[in-house]
Amino acid sequence: MDDYKFLFKVVLVGNAGVGKTCLVRRFTQGLFPPGQGATIGVDFMIKTVEVGNEKVKLQIWDTAGQERFRSITQSYYRSAHALILVYDISCQPTFDCLPDWLREIEEYASSKVLRVLVGNKIDREDREIPTHVGEEFAERHNMYFLETSAKESDNVERLFMQIAEDLMKQARMTNVPRYDSNSQNINDSSGQESSCCNRLT
Amino acid sequence: MTYLMICEALIRLIHTRISFELISFTLAIRFVSLTLFIAGQSRQCTPHSHKNQVLLPLITCAYWSIPATFWSRMATDLNYVEIEARCLQELQQLKIEEENLIMELNSMVNQKTFIEDKIKGLSFLIPKLNVMKNEAEDLVSTVNDISQSSEKISGKIRQLDTARSHVDECLLRVNDLIDLEICSQGVQQAILDLDYEKGAAHVHRFLSMDQSLLKRTANDMNSVSNMLKSVRTLQEAAAQLRAIVEHRFNEAVNNEDLVSIERFFKIFPLLGMHEEGIKEFCTYLRTKVAITAEKNLKSAINLPLADKRYSIVYADTLTLLFEGLARVIDTHQPLLETYYGPGRLLSAVVILQKECDSQIKRILLEWSKSRQIQKKLQQITDLSRMSSSASFSKIEKSDPKDLDILIGEITLMHFRCELYIKFVQRKIMADVEVGIADKELKEKTLKQLDQTILNSVLSQCKHELLSHYLQLEQYFMEESVAKAINMDILETSQQTSSMVDDTFFIIKKCIRRSISTGSLDGICVTINNACRVLENDYCSVLKARLRQGYPSGYLDLSQAYNVLQNSIQGRLQTGDTEQSRTAFIVALNNADSSTEYVTALCDNIMKEIETSCPNMNLNERGKLESCLSGISAVSASLTAIIEYGGQQLKSTAVKPRINPWVDTFMNFSHQLTEDELSAYEAGESFVQTLIMNLETLLSSFKEILSSNNYDHFLQVLTAEVTQRFEKVIMKSQFNRLGGLVLDKEVRSLAGYITSGTYFSVRDQFARLTQIATILNFDQIDEINDYWGNFDGAITWRLTPSEIKSVLNLRVDFKSDEIKRLRL
Repeated sequence: MDDYKFLFKVVLVGNAGVGKTCLVRRFTQGLFPPGQGATIGVDFMIKTVEVGNEKVKLQIWDTAGQERFRSITQSYYRSAHALILVYDISCQPTFDCLPDWLREIEEYASSKVLRVLVGNKIDREDREIPTHVGEEFAERHNMYFLETSAKESDNVERLFMQIAEDLMKQARMTNVPRYDSNSQNINDSSGQESSCCNRLT
Repeated sequence: MTYLMICEALIRLIHTRISFELISFTLAIRFVSLTLFIAGQSRQCTPHSHKNQVLLPLITCAYWSIPATFWSRMATDLNYVEIEARCLQELQQLKIEEENLIMELNSMVNQKTFIEDKIKGLSFLIPKLNVMKNEAEDLVSTVNDISQSSEKISGKIRQLDTARSHVDECLLRVNDLIDLEICSQGVQQAILDLDYEKGAAHVHRFLSMDQSLLKRTANDMNSVSNMLKSVRTLQEAAAQLRAIVEHRFNEAVNNEDLVSIERFFKIFPLLGMHEEGIKEFCTYLRTKVAITAEKNLKSAINLPLADKRYSIVYADTLTLLFEGLARVIDTHQPLLETYYGPGRLLSAVVILQKECDSQIKRILLEWSKSRQIQKKLQQITDLSRMSSSASFSKIEKSDPKDLDILIGEITLMHFRCELYIKFVQRKIMADVEVGIADKELKEKTLKQLDQTILNSVLSQCKHELLSHYLQLEQYFMEESVAKAINMDILETSQQTSSMVDDTFFIIKKCIRRSISTGSLDGICVTINNACRVLENDYCSVLKARLRQGYPSGYLDLSQAYNVLQNSIQGRLQTGDTEQSRTAFIVALNNADSSTEYVTALCDNIMKEIETSCPNMNLNERGKLESCLSGISAVSASLTAIIEYGGQQLKSTAVKPRINPWVDTFMNFSHQLTEDELSAYEAGESFVQTLIMNLETLLSSFKEILSSNNYDHFLQVLTAEVTQRFEKVIMKSQFNRLGGLVLDKEVRSLAGYITSGTYFSVRDQFARLTQIATILNFDQIDEINDYWGNFDGAITWRLTPSEIKSVLNLRVDFKSDEIKRLRL
């Protein structure tokens, strides 16, 4: 079972009711369970996907959007490899909150984290945020952008597969993604040492 | 017939045989005897012996089937005496065989009578079998008759059954009618007598009647008016009773008349007012709970500061509320089950939950006021916002120690909420299991239970408590660890400083406290926070100390410059270098012992969580393990830090000192005569000095470094020494004796370093040893004893070109000979 090569943590954040749980359920179980209650704290699901013949285990953390769970959800940002920030395209306030979310991400998440902006519920007729507005916001903040529908299963698979592929590319470039700040320093010092060696000889 | 067929077969066989040129004589004889045997057989079986005449020529024929060629060959090839002897012999054999056959024939004749008897016996049986057959046919027809008649009977029984059910229904209707009559008469009287139980019992009997059946009965009957009247009376009585009971119940509640309350509570279900009864009764219970809760809260607010339980008085109040509610549920559940039937606990709890919600809201409000929660939380958020800016120190910080007690209280409160919710869930689930048989309804009820709990103020308060707890705990952890790092003290004779023990004590305390909240989310978050604090705050401090470097006594140019600068500013003191050296070493040791602490922490937490949350499901376990894996990531960080420290040590403490020591090798001549050799060996040799120097260096570190770090240090040192040594060797030239001395020196150096450690440094010495071996050769071609694919060959760490350049160091080896070597 545990024959995966890469393990990535993906954390979903965003206002309450934008459809984070539905996105995760749609991706991990292929379900769209309507009318389920708000998430309590954080939920945790696992799905192993295949990217270029390599098995990649995605650990998906589905966080509660409600304010009172903020101190729980924030603690998961730090170890995340990717953060999916979700808003509801038919609900302006969820879009207006994005800067607050970004501030929080800035504060708690690693600077290298892959950030993705997702406008969910494109199946709805009463769209309030046009696609280009979301796109511009994402571009301004250096994020990927995608519009999805968990209900119609639009772009959901693509969203997570894209993340898995990108993270794998990133991991291949730096062998130890988490500690490369350390290893870089060690490399620096060894560089010094070799120059010092040259001086002596 | 059979024997005739056999005879035919035989004749056919004979014809084919004749066509063969060579046939064994004995075979022929056997054939004859077989024929004879068959003849005998047939004679036995058939009384008519005239068939023997057919057989006789057969026998002769068989005899003559012995091919003529046989005879003729005999005549030509053998002389007559032999022929005669043979013939006699064969004759003899034939005679013996004939006798045997005759004997066999006789025995068969003897058996004849026996077989005949058997046949006779069998023929007697035939008439009996005929009789049996007839009887069996009779039996079959009888059975058929029976089955037909039984079918007829069962049809009749079926008819009877329907008739009986009609009769039953009829009886029921009649009974109902009689009861109706009795009830309608009795109910009025009962109401007049104030005997509500009896009245309610009548109504209950009336309600238990099938109303549609009653209507049908009414249609079937002639005296419609009479019955309808009764029904109307009863319906009126029921309505009347309902009103009375409700009224009386309220009256009893107002009068606090417990006996009456219970009395009317029991009457409700008889009147078909289950939900109303539960509602009325639980509303009454609510008021009771509210009164007690109010009293408790008041006494909590008025509790003097000096009281022992002051610091957890609100947790106590909460506990009292939950205990009161639990007691109410426990004591009234049996009553409810007896008079209202099982499966109705949820309706009762839903009403009680309302009171629980409003009470908990008040308690938390008072608590938050009295403990100044909002202010403290605001302070913490302000601090975290400001931490990057300069005005950091100006903000008043709350001492983590003061928060400690408050955090303890929150933990307790949260745990109580969790416990109460679990209690309610368990109670209702058990009740539903017993009371509701319908699967769909059961699921619906359980869903309703989940929703009730999820949407309750209790749950919201619980989440808020957890949120407060986590914010405060995080602050506590960060501040306490910062404090531990600031107040770091090195006790003499200790290898590590106080911050290691202190930090891990704090982390463990926090995680343990989170376990006592009873919330897995709380535990996970605290673990996450601990990882962050360890990696960001703790490890970074260790690393920063290592980045300062280990000031070496032997300064290189740049270091000397720094010293000069410092001394100009008047900051250089004698103890200064010594102090920063100690700081470096302690940081390195701290990092080493921290890795052990981290591993122990991980194991302990897992064990403690297993005991306090034994029923984790797979998903929860996965969540926890994922968070715990963050702690092991801290260990990787620490290992990287130790590695980094080792490199720092190497560049300042190892290299600058070792290089000059090893470089003295070039001051010695390595082209020695016999006399020079003995003089060299008598005096202080290169390796002796080197070992002596290394010894002083190592011993200065052996005391102060932790054993893991010392091993690591020794490895770094060994690598450095061997590399440097190799370099200077490559710059020197040797003759035979010089090579001999080198080989000895390398061996003793390797022996010295190996003796100082558990690690095998043999591997690190491999190249050096091989170089020394080559330089110690008598002849160039000695290399062939070591190089190649045979048993004695060694695994070379040197490339062929390296070997050649080493050989070139020997002045007495000719370079074209070396060139010619094939490796």
